[in-house]
Amino acid sequence: MDFKTFLHAGSNRRAMLKGMGVAAVGFSLTGALAGCGEKDAAKLANGEEAKLNFYNWDTYIGETTLEDYMDKAGVDVNMTLFASNDELFAKLRAGNQGYDVIVPSNDFVERMAAADMLTELDKAQIPNFKNVAPDYQDVPYDPARKFSMPYTWLALGIGYRKSKVKSVPDSWKVLFDSDEYKGRIAVLSEAGDMFRLYGKYIGKSVNGLTDADLKTIEAMMIKQKPNIKSFHEDNGQDLLLKGEVDVVLEYNGDIAQAMVEDPDIGFVIPKEGSQLNSDNLCIPKGAPHPKNAHAFINYLLDAEAGKKITETILYPTPNDAAKALMPAEYKNNAVIFPPADILAKCEYAKFNPELQPKYEEAFTRVRAA
Amino acid sequence: MMFNRTAIAPLEYTRKLWMRSWVALTLLFLYAPLIVLMIFSFNDSKRNVVWKGFTVKYYEKALNNDSLVEAMVNSLTIAFLATIVSLVIGALAAVMLWRFRFPFKGLVEGTMSLPIIVPEICLGVAFLIFFAKVDWPTDLPWPLNLSAITIAHITFCFPFVAMVVRARLASFNKEEEEAAKDLGATEWQAFRDVLLPHIKPALIAGALLAFTLSLDDFVITFFTSGPDTITFPVKVYSMVRFSVTPEVNAASTILILLTVILTFIALKLQGVKGIAETH
Amino acid sequence: MTGPLQDWKGQRRPFAAIASLPVFWLALFFVAPMTIVWLYSFGQNAGPADIDISGTLDNYKRATEWLYLSIFLKSLAVAALTTLICLIVGFPIAMAITFAAPRWRPWLLLGIMLPFWTNLLIRTYALMALMGTNGYMNKGLGGLWEGASWLRTLVGMQPLEAWTPVQLLYNNFAVVLGLVYVHLPFMVLPLYSALDRMDKSLIEASLDLGAGHFKTFMKIVVPLAAPGIVAGVMITLIPALGAYLTPDLMGGTESQMIANVIERQFKRANDWPFGAALSFLLIYAMFILIALQSMRTNKSMERG
Repeated sequence: MDFKTFLHAGSNRRAMLKGMGVAAVGFSLTGALAGCGEKDAAKLANGEEAKLNFYNWDTYIGETTLEDYMDKAGVDVNMTLFASNDELFAKLRAGNQGYDVIVPSNDFVERMAAADMLTELDKAQIPNFKNVAPDYQDVPYDPARKFSMPYTWLALGIGYRKSKVKSVPDSWKVLFDSDEYKGRIAVLSEAGDMFRLYGKYIGKSVNGLTDADLKTIEAMMIKQKPNIKSFHEDNGQDLLLKGEVDVVLEYNGDIAQAMVEDPDIGFVIPKEGSQLNSDNLCIPKGAPHPKNAHAFINYLLDAEAGKKITETILYPTPNDAAKALMPAEYKNNAVIFPPADILAKCEYAKFNPELQPKYEEAFTRVRAA
Repeated sequence: MMFNRTAIAPLEYTRKLWMRSWVALTLLFLYAPLIVLMIFSFNDSKRNVVWKGFTVKYYEKALNNDSLVEAMVNSLTIAFLATIVSLVIGALAAVMLWRFRFPFKGLVEGTMSLPIIVPEICLGVAFLIFFAKVDWPTDLPWPLNLSAITIAHITFCFPFVAMVVRARLASFNKEEEEAAKDLGATEWQAFRDVLLPHIKPALIAGALLAFTLSLDDFVITFFTSGPDTITFPVKVYSMVRFSVTPEVNAASTILILLTVILTFIALKLQGVKGIAETH
Repeated sequence: MTGPLQDWKGQRRPFAAIASLPVFWLALFFVAPMTIVWLYSFGQNAGPADIDISGTLDNYKRATEWLYLSIFLKSLAVAALTTLICLIVGFPIAMAITFAAPRWRPWLLLGIMLPFWTNLLIRTYALMALMGTNGYMNKGLGGLWEGASWLRTLVGMQPLEAWTPVQLLYNNFAVVLGLVYVHLPFMVLPLYSALDRMDKSLIEASLDLGAGHFKTFMKIVVPLAAPGIVAGVMITLIPALGAYLTPDLMGGTESQMIANVIERQFKRANDWPFGAALSFLLIYAMFILIALQSMRTNKSMERG
């Protein structure tokens, strides 16, 4: 039915509806035929379809990991992407639309566990758990690893352009309290992280801020705002590479990737200490293929598979067996694996339902000031 | 042509120099980023920040990226379906408001403009909760699994169509319709042969608007899509978190070309002149 | 111009045929979902993922604090500026399309629409690439500056001081430019649609009678195109007010618009009731404006 007929003669409403009905039936027939083909996909020995829906961050997997898994286990992994923890949470809040494995960060593991959105992991199906470094086998945000397996860990710090800074910016002061690099600074737009790092700067723990601290920090932020060029949404490394800014608050993994492209970039964790994050593999409640999900998580924790993933994404890995297989430049890279004395001053952020809204409101005030 | 080439008639504004320059500058402003985008899709650099060399490997990558292709197909399908249905509903709504007086008319009119006003994120969350609460099935075969997204798109597209059609109806001379009816036409014939041709430019404009809105929508689609129903904007948004690789540029270029080709085909069927004729 | 409105009772069958689909769709797929969110605005968070609808007005009280009202007023100003620029730029374009030879008209129309079939995000990133500190716009401006400087030395004057790139991005200028870029066709299309129907002989008559082009324009063309202008303004202003992607990506530290705040409540802050309250305040305000305007139009149409 061509356009002309549709617009002129088809203007008789009944004919239009009839036409649309035919088109709709035609569509659904072809769709049903295609669907038939899909539904006859192999059923695995474990009783589930040979399919898995993996909801992951972008470029957060090895180049061939999914194909390798298809070869090994015969399961077709459908990887869809999300861009931030809040999106993941907002989407899954109302109900699981069919995702089997998700990758939330540590504070969201806490939040989702508290909201009863995660399935408990059956460790018997994940024997590769032994590959995980001892530090990561039991963590404050998921005691005894009931709901999550570690995928990567990261630390926040300062990325900088070596040729443009007068000295290595090893204190948060450079970003938070000084106009030395006026207009060439970018910081995160995430309220919680910002407040917690300011807390580190004024000498407190990330999880121990009081209302009085919030007021102090808010005033400091407003004072510093004219020196900041942008509150970036996790693309700080791009701003640095493009030359828009010279110092940026970013994750070590992102800057490590940028350093491969441009050797003039450096990274340092400030001496006051910083915040640690970790991205984890979880199975949301209502996943259609839980057994496949467990098997896939187990595969990701395998030494060889883990090595391939780490080669691509260059983030610090909590998988000791994979780390052992990596080349020396990776293991000794001070950006990817910061020295132990600095790490000792870094903490995980705890999910705090009372403080979070306060951070948000205060940050809105800062941005409106 | 009535006017000879050397003299510009008073009404031929488009031939005046200042008008032409204005249009040319605007088109330059609109197209410059697109041209940059297309050029950079051939850039041989993972991060696509500086030009490093010419390559077509990202086109290969994009075309081989199954999920990207699927996303493009989904986006085009949804846009097509949403446009057609929005045209019907929007035109009916415009005629209803223009022609009749009925109780609660102000309320209906106001409600109909609401989808344009509501912040997209609010509408997206509303649909998310709505489809969850009515247990909308999530494992239908293609293209029925796009139904949730399509319904959402239609809902925020048709008020735009209604608005454009109404602006056009304002200049309709009712007497033409009366005359047709006096001459023996039925209600439907009058509608089809007198009213509809009059609003055709508005329908075309409305269709273009609806198609654009649907193809580009991100927020509402994000909340109504699931693992099997990814659309192009949603896929791109999650891909640019790390950085804008040339692959994304290549995919966008392909989508633009596809859309242009589809439009050409539609125009050929319709007759190019028909799009903008006056009566 | 148009005849009087017909009362629906006199024409039940046509009315039912025309009105049933739009009203049904609106009721089921718009009013129902929005009602749920509206109920949420009277609730509060009971745990990370549950909402307890307790009939509280706390959210609305918080939403009317000066902090949020000031952000709303600022967003309105930015949106109004964007709409004005779109109107000024778009009106000549619409006229150019209307008065072009029929052969060219569809191509011009298509030419204006085509950029908008590109993904907004990609287009924005491409625009940002042009506008960045080391982007082509700055390079071009720098080239002009250097050229001017060199010319000055030629005539014996002091050269200009060294070129520092202008900050075109991460400020309010970038946000307005980005918003104009996105919303221009939404202004052009309704304008064209209305201008197209205009009786050209009126313009000819006015010119024949001695009025200049500008006077003809202001006194004949603009009033006749009025419904199109109103439609265009509505279609541009309101989405611009609710825009959040453009200010988010291209704005600086002081470019926070109301939609960004609302988005933050639904996502980061996980405070859906408050986000709902903010959204609905925005909606109530606009609803009242539009209802007033349509009541005025209905009254004048009934008279005429």
